[in-house]
Order: sequence, then structure tokens, then C-alpha cells
Amino acid sequence: MPVRRLQIWAVSAVPCRVIRAMIRFENVTKVYDQTARPALDDVSLEIDRGEFAFLVGASGSGKSTFLRLVLKEDRASSGAVYVAGQNVAKISSWRVPRLRRGIGVVFQDFRLLPQKSVFANVAFAMQVIGKSRSVIRDTVPEVLKTVGLEGKENRLPHELSGGEQQRVAIARAVVNRPGILLADEPTGNLDPTTSMGIMGVLDKINQNGTTVVMATHDDDIVNEMRKRVVELKNGIVIRDEARALYTSMIPVVGQSRRLRDASGRDEAQPPAPGERSPGAGEEQR
Amino acid sequence: MRLAFVLSEIGSGLRRNVSMVVSVILVTFVSLTFVGAAGMLQLQINQMKGYWYDKVQVAIFLCSDGSTAAGCATGPVTPEQQENLQTLLESPAVAQYVNDFQYESKEEAYKHFKDQFSNSPIVDSVTPDQLPSSFRINMKDPEKYQIISETFSSQPGVETVIDQRQLLERLFSAMNAASLVAVSIAGVMIVCAILLIATTIRLSAFSRRRETGIMRLVGASKMVIQLPFILEGVIAAVIGAALASGTLWAVAHFFLGEYLSKQYPDTAFISPGQTLILAPALLILGGSLAGISSLLTLRRYLKV
Repeated sequence: MPVRRLQIWAVSAVPCRVIRAMIRFENVTKVYDQTARPALDDVSLEIDRGEFAFLVGASGSGKSTFLRLVLKEDRASSGAVYVAGQNVAKISSWRVPRLRRGIGVVFQDFRLLPQKSVFANVAFAMQVIGKSRSVIRDTVPEVLKTVGLEGKENRLPHELSGGEQQRVAIARAVVNRPGILLADEPTGNLDPTTSMGIMGVLDKINQNGTTVVMATHDDDIVNEMRKRVVELKNGIVIRDEARALYTSMIPVVGQSRRLRDASGRDEAQPPAPGERSPGAGEEQR
Repeated sequence: MRLAFVLSEIGSGLRRNVSMVVSVILVTFVSLTFVGAAGMLQLQINQMKGYWYDKVQVAIFLCSDGSTAAGCATGPVTPEQQENLQTLLESPAVAQYVNDFQYESKEEAYKHFKDQFSNSPIVDSVTPDQLPSSFRINMKDPEKYQIISETFSSQPGVETVIDQRQLLERLFSAMNAASLVAVSIAGVMIVCAILLIATTIRLSAFSRRRETGIMRLVGASKMVIQLPFILEGVIAAVIGAALASGTLWAVAHFFLGEYLSKQYPDTAFISPGQTLILAPALLILGGSLAGISSLLTLRRYLKV
């Protein structure tokens, strides 16, 4: 495979490329269960600073695994994951919090603290990393304004609509100004109109310079946004297009046999045993 | 890290499972009370041993004013009689059984008495004159007490010969057995306390998994995430230890001080103040037990 070799050479010869890439996967394979097929299979991928990328694919295609590897929630079985130029495998466990401070995360189920107000939920993310009260007082209203929640600081999560709750979650994710925002199906629980509102917020955050990676099933959104689309299938990147649609416009002719096999199968194929569904690996103990 | 934040986390944690926290307090309270009781028995034994117990085995009390023993017919011991006794002690017949001996004058006896009975009202009514002077003998073989007793009992100027060990040994062995029992009960209770603290912390970690999950995601340090849980356990255990210390003090004050010392005025009891020596030890023991057990629990049940 001459192309891949060339790519590696380019990286080692031009180190600034590594820095420019916010997230960089080098031949990453993740195996949860030795007997099953890998969740990610030899994935090489680069997402640049300030980019907006969709991660699409059926359940079990490896989207969540991708996000978990960026967060160092899991270790890659082989290959290397770089976040902001740093190999996450080389980050010692006591420095992992620092890595995570540079990454905001949003989930399908919002994960707000039910007994805390909107303000307190967002402030919580700053309190736990030791920000002073005055900084919190200044920053939180500003961020709430960015996500369009002015005047709702004192509401409790159950007093908000789903879309508003997700906005709170986004505010919490970006309040510490991370370089990367990971969104794991943020519109999965929302209706199309509300979803578009959320996408507007994410786009605004992206305009401010934050790299956004969003895993999604929502074809309408992907088609509307016309951003980069990375499609995963059974742990393999089968498509990586700029300004793309949810489904590929490129004819299958001309692809390698392996890719054609992978993309030619039915979308609704059930996930293989051993593969985790999105979110299943999150801490539920 | 903001102290106020950690404190408010601890507060909410303690409020959330009050019943478990109360049970941790009670279990550490009971277990540390037993530990403290064993400590108190040892203190009491030391108190009763007084100045001489560990140094000598046999005491030859010399006649003083008002002695009624047969050897005291001539009144208080004279310097000659005392000289004779000392010569007899140094004679080869006796010296072969004796390691060394010391003379305790009335003044010295009074000083030692005051130390031993410092917590007893009896100390105010005693003057040096009332206390006998004595020879205190350290035996090569304590079993040979009889020889000393036979040799000296009939000597003029000797009131009585006492084998202190014989008097107190049985009492002390009973007290030692009691403190052993207390320690074993304490051991079982401490195991209970450790397991209960572990369970409590586990429940607490479970009921706050949402918060800790979010803390992890936004990059809170391990310390900020774990400290509230550990301090929760430590605070509960320290409260238990404080209650145990208070109980020991109350026992020393009300039972020993007010009741037993009146029943047995000739016995030296420990003072309530002395039990407070045990308090820091109990607090440290309780706190570190809780700290270690919650740390180990968190390592298993709270991934950071």
C-alpha cells in the first residue's frame, strides 16, 4: 500500500502537520473481544484544527469507539492516537484530566444534574477544575448566551425542553474553552426542527475555532450542513469526503474489493457480538 | 481545587445517605470504645503497680507510730534496728537470694504515695508520718519469697513482709484477660467498621455516579473526584472516635471517679484526664481506618 507509507513518511518529515491535526489516528485498531471482529480496524484519519466533521455509520460501526479513544477512555489495541499533537498512549494517568479539559463532550442523553439549575450545571464544570467564583460568574452567562439560553439560568433541567437541555449540555462542554468538541449523537433524542437549532449552536462554536466531531445517524442534518463526512462501517473508514452528504454520491466502481464488500452490504445489519452499542461502554456502575 | 466546593460535595454526600453514615458512626464508636477500654485497663494496671511494682518483689515494712505487729512492741523502728536489718540483708545468707534492695524513707514513701493516689481524696488525709519506711527487695528468684519472709518477719522493728506480686498478680492477670477480650471484640468490630465504611462509600459513589462521570469528562483531577468520598468516611469515623473518647472519659469520671473510688478508697484509680491520652490515638485510628478502606473501595468502584 504505497499511499499509506507515503503518508507516514510525510508525518515524520514534517512535524508541524501533526500539530495542525487536532485529532490524528494512525493505523488504529481497537479490539474489545479477541473472538469478535475489531471495533476499529486499522483506521488512519486526521481532523484538522477548526474543522467540523461528521462521523456516520450504523450502530456498531465504531463511532463511539472512535470518540472513546480520543478521550482516552479506552486504549487502542494497536496504532497511535494523537490529540493536539500528543500521543494519548504516552499521557500518564494523572495527566489524563488535563487532556480531557481540552475536550468537551456532548451526549444523546444530555447527562445534566437534575437537582442543579442551568447555571449550576454549567458552573459545575468550572468548579471541579478549580475556577474561581468570579471567573465562573463572568463566564457562565456568556456561554449560556452563546447557546441561546439567556434568562433561563435558574431553571431546573426538568423545566426545560429537550432541545434546551441539550443546549445546557453544550454550554457545559464548551465553558472551559476546549479545543475539541465531541458530540455523540447530540440530536438523537430531538425532533428535526430542534435538531437544526442545536446544529446552529454547534456551528457557531465551530466558527469560534473549536474543532467539532459529531457522531450521528441523522441524515437530514448531515445533508443540510454539507460538512466533512467520515463514514465508518464495521470499524473501517469506507468514505471520507469534504462537503458531503449522508450517503455517498461517489459510485462504487473503482474502489478496492474490501471497501466494496463493506459498503455493499445492507445498512440495517445487526452489530456483531462483542461490539458495543453507542454509550454502552460509558460508566454505568 | 476549591475548598468550599469539596466541602459542599461532602455535605451533600453525608445528607444523601444519612442512615449509612449514622451506622458507620455507631460501629466505629462501639469498636473504638472497646479498643479504648482495653487501653484503660492497661492504664489502670499501671496505676495500681505504683512506683515499686516493676522494680521489686518484696517489701519489708518497718515499724512506725501505732504499729500493732508483734515485732513493733518497742515502738517505731530505731536507727539501730534499721542498721541491723540492712546488715542482715547484706549478709551472705540472704544476699544470695537478693539482686539488690533499696531503702524507702517515710518522705519517699509519701512522695510515691502521692503520685499513685493523685486522683483519690485519700491523699489529702495522709501525712508522711503515717507511712512506714521500708526496704524494697528485688529478688533473684521471686519464688523464694518465703525465705525472706521467714528471716525478717520476726526481726525487731519489722512490721510486716509483703510479697506485692502475690497480692496483685491475680488481679492483674484478670485485668489483662479482660483487656484481651476487649481487644478481640474490638478487632471483630473494626472488621465490621471497615466493611461498613467500604459499603457506604460504594453506595455513595453509586448514587453520585452522574456527578463523578461529568467530573471525569470535564477533566476534574482524581483528587477532586475522590476526596469528598474519602473525607465522608473519615468524618463519620472521626465522629465515632470522638464519641468513644467521650464515653471513656465519662466512664473514668462517673464510674471510677465517683463510684468505685469511694467503694475502694485504698485503690489507686486512673483520672478522667488520663483517658484523654487515649483520645488522639482513637481519633487517628478511626480516621486512618476509614481513609484506607474508602481509598481501597474507590480504587475498585470509582474509575477516574
